[in-house]
Amino acid sequence: MRALGVDIGSLTTKAVILDGEGIIASSVIASGDESEQSAGNAIDEALKQAGLKKDDGVFIVSTGAGGKDISLSQQSKSLTSCLARGVHRLFPSARMSIDMGAESSTVIKISERGRLNDWVNQDKCAAGTGIFLQQMAKLMQMPLDEMAALSLQAKGRADITSTCAVFAESEVISHVHREPPTPKEDIVAGIYYSVVSRIISLCKRIGIERDVAVTGGVAMNGGLVKILEGELGFAVLVPERPQLVAALGAAVVAQESIEKGISG
Amino acid sequence: MVSETKKSKIDAIIRASRLIMRMNQANPASPKSEALYYKMLTSYYTCLLNAHDEGKFIAAHTVFFPSEILYAMDIVPMHTETTTWMMALFLGEQAEILSAGAELGLVPEICSPHRGLAGAFSLGALPRPDAMLWSNLICDNTAKSGELIMEINKCPGFYLDHPFQRSETEDKYFLGELEDMICFLEEKSGQKMDWDKLSKIVQRMDHQMELFREIGELRKTVPSPFPNRGFLQLLTTDYLCPGQPEAIEYLEALRDELAEMVRERKGAVSPERFRLMTLFVPPMYLMGFLEKIGQEYGVVSVVEPLFTRWAEGRLDPSQPLESVARKAAMIPERRSMYGPLGQEALQDLVDCAEQYKVDGAVYWAFMGCRHTCATVKLFKDLLNEVDVPVLTIDCDIVDPTINSEAEIREKMEQFFELLEDR
Repeated sequence: MRALGVDIGSLTTKAVILDGEGIIASSVIASGDESEQSAGNAIDEALKQAGLKKDDGVFIVSTGAGGKDISLSQQSKSLTSCLARGVHRLFPSARMSIDMGAESSTVIKISERGRLNDWVNQDKCAAGTGIFLQQMAKLMQMPLDEMAALSLQAKGRADITSTCAVFAESEVISHVHREPPTPKEDIVAGIYYSVVSRIISLCKRIGIERDVAVTGGVAMNGGLVKILEGELGFAVLVPERPQLVAALGAAVVAQESIEKGISG
Repeated sequence: MVSETKKSKIDAIIRASRLIMRMNQANPASPKSEALYYKMLTSYYTCLLNAHDEGKFIAAHTVFFPSEILYAMDIVPMHTETTTWMMALFLGEQAEILSAGAELGLVPEICSPHRGLAGAFSLGALPRPDAMLWSNLICDNTAKSGELIMEINKCPGFYLDHPFQRSETEDKYFLGELEDMICFLEEKSGQKMDWDKLSKIVQRMDHQMELFREIGELRKTVPSPFPNRGFLQLLTTDYLCPGQPEAIEYLEALRDELAEMVRERKGAVSPERFRLMTLFVPPMYLMGFLEKIGQEYGVVSVVEPLFTRWAEGRLDPSQPLESVARKAAMIPERRSMYGPLGQEALQDLVDCAEQYKVDGAVYWAFMGCRHTCATVKLFKDLLNEVDVPVLTIDCDIVDPTINSEAEIREKMEQFFELLEDR
């Protein structure tokens, strides 16, 4: 029996297959309108990579924004619990993890056993999320990768509000159009800092505890992670494929269920 | 001509309450206490509805006001915050009254029951009071509510000043405040204080507090016999009917039913999986949901240290006014919401976690009650030290636009998962 975890996010759906040795396949696809369909596609893709079929014996655990209501999984688990399991599998020393997803940011605390100890999230405003950064990239008329590289050259930092995505947008426009315009790299650094300051205040709500891992699609943004490290005052742990961590955690839960003999 | 009390929403609250009471009476499986609770509510609001027609004087008052004095003077009390909650709970008219509050310039950051009650008065949804009584117990909102309500209703008012601390001087000062208030009420209402009646009310209030303590003891049992919806009922009883026969009748019936369940080892939820401590007050409009999710997941709230645990001490009917003053100092909510916290209050939290065998705590962080929310971190750290995880839910106790039921369900389910995984 193989363990499969699927994380249905608002922008992408991720699947991970584990066996006794470790990850044997993974997939990332764009989420569609239907969670069921997105999960099916991500699962099929991962199974294809692993050279498996559904009836080869796969225990599926789903998570994420759309993870609760899909019929393909034998079990569903909250994103926070899956993140804790996934981070612990990759970094057993991590006691805190910051997940920066498309529509929300979540900070979790992890026990020595890899269990969720506490969490806090912000999902009321796009400020501090991946969608906010995408919006800012559009406004700056440059791809996200280019923005990340540019931020590393910043010598200063534009003041951008961290409390409201809409106000932040007007502030960026004003920096671009002022005379002389604020250097682009400083604007980008300001945008990243506004995201980071929101994240840091979330972390402080439950108390910062080392080691700290960073997960979710936004963790692939090196410029933002650098500013985050600067504000935290220490280096963070970033997985090779940070967007897969929740799906990995779901697969870990599936593995635990297999070991306990739960049939789902 | 329709009298002004008949135009209010009180009639609708009575109809809703009476309907639930009859449903409970008709259902043989429903505990007797449920029907008695709704009988008590119906009686309270019927007195209020008929007060002016019967030539009685209505005194509106804010929360934690010593309404024993009003009952003893045959003045009809109107608990403003609770009546606003009732409108939200039974009639679902939060939007209308909060919007009316906004028209009075009350911004969303202000406590919603206070925004709501001002809005309700301006809409004529509450009967016009003959006097407004308010105090600084328990917060700046209660301290500031009075003048606006007096202005809306063009009625006289009295502000009762509670000292923060207790000492001989401060007790004497507060007693003087109560005497001044009685003089004010006698002058405005033409009613005289009936000291014998006050003495009897104090005697019953002492018994009422003892009943609360007995109910608290019964809730320590595993499984706990007390349902999640009961918290709001206990609060309402204390707020509306201190020392009233209907309150005693309800609480005695409840105590007897819980004692019977304890003897039979029956829990309010079956099987009981998680025992929770409730910090502050959950959204009133979600009481049905909390009952439902409790049944679904086997979760029961076993203690509310900041709300239903009266401080130690007894009242003395031979010194009725002194007892009313003493009671004000024993109010459970004072621990977290009024004046400094004190080591005793913090220790009580830890003791409750142990005595009630709590698995986790939920802090309903009511955004309009900023001074209470200042305790979130302190309480959380304290409970974490004794290995009790705490879920903090930012919410509003009256306004459902702040979080949806689905959002709260998601957070609670995550928390139950956390408790299960430990």
